[in-house]
Amino acid sequence: MSNFDGVTEQLIDSTIEIFTGMVMMEVAPTGQVMNRMNPLKDSITGMVGLAGIHKGLLAVHLPKAVATAITSNFLGIEVDAITEDVEDAIGEIANMLGGNLKSILSDKGKDIQLSLPSTISGDEYNFASQADVDTLILEFKAPEGEFYVEVELEA
Amino acid sequence: MAKNVLLVDDSSTMRKIISRSLRQAGLEFGDIFEASDGAEALDVLEKESVDIVLSDINMPNMNGIEFLREKASRDAIKDIPVFMISTETGDDIIGEAKSLGAVGALKKPFTPDKVNEVLGPLM
Repeated sequence: MSNFDGVTEQLIDSTIEIFTGMVMMEVAPTGQVMNRMNPLKDSITGMVGLAGIHKGLLAVHLPKAVATAITSNFLGIEVDAITEDVEDAIGEIANMLGGNLKSILSDKGKDIQLSLPSTISGDEYNFASQADVDTLILEFKAPEGEFYVEVELEA
Repeated sequence: MAKNVLLVDDSSTMRKIISRSLRQAGLEFGDIFEASDGAEALDVLEKESVDIVLSDINMPNMNGIEFLREKASRDAIKDIPVFMISTETGDDIIGEAKSLGAVGALKKPFTPDKVNEVLGPLM
């Protein structure tokens, strides 16, 4: 049985809920599902780790244009570069997605622990796990471009 | 009389979103204070006149559960109501928060309508 049985649809719903309900941005899945990220260019990645009965991480990979649009919507100010505000906003997106993933994987609270969110960003970087993990990557389309929600769970 | 609110969240973005959502929900409130973890929140409660606390759970330094436990031990502030706003909504975590005095919980993400529904009666 795959780690992701029943997860994909709920993760799509949860991503749409977060973006439409809190970011005030319409997003939709493109239908593309991958198991390896291409090198990320001019992007930011927000992530949270999972420990407990499920070990792994949730990451959201966003090109700068999408990340700054999210931050502008959140804060009501124009943002055009990856600043501390953008890092904080994208960390919070990862945190909410991670919280929803935790609820999808378990309806209890203490059998999975979430780490605090963190971010990485750069002109070009790879995001690849060294561990033996099952990986699910969902592509979404936002008005400013495509972004990706990735889940890695230990096999 | 409008109530003074303390927002406790390690994300400054989330504190702004909650503040905006309170306004969009049409709720009346007085001053809004902010803290980035439980320890800062205790300091604010000791110094300022706060009527209700809206607190995250998953925070560095002192998390929301530790904050509730410490607050409950301080006579001067123990009766100020705390409402949890968090991605953490598992039954056992929320149950622990309520056993330590939390008066309710709201799951992130939330909408202004949901904020009105759950916080309106407290404001």
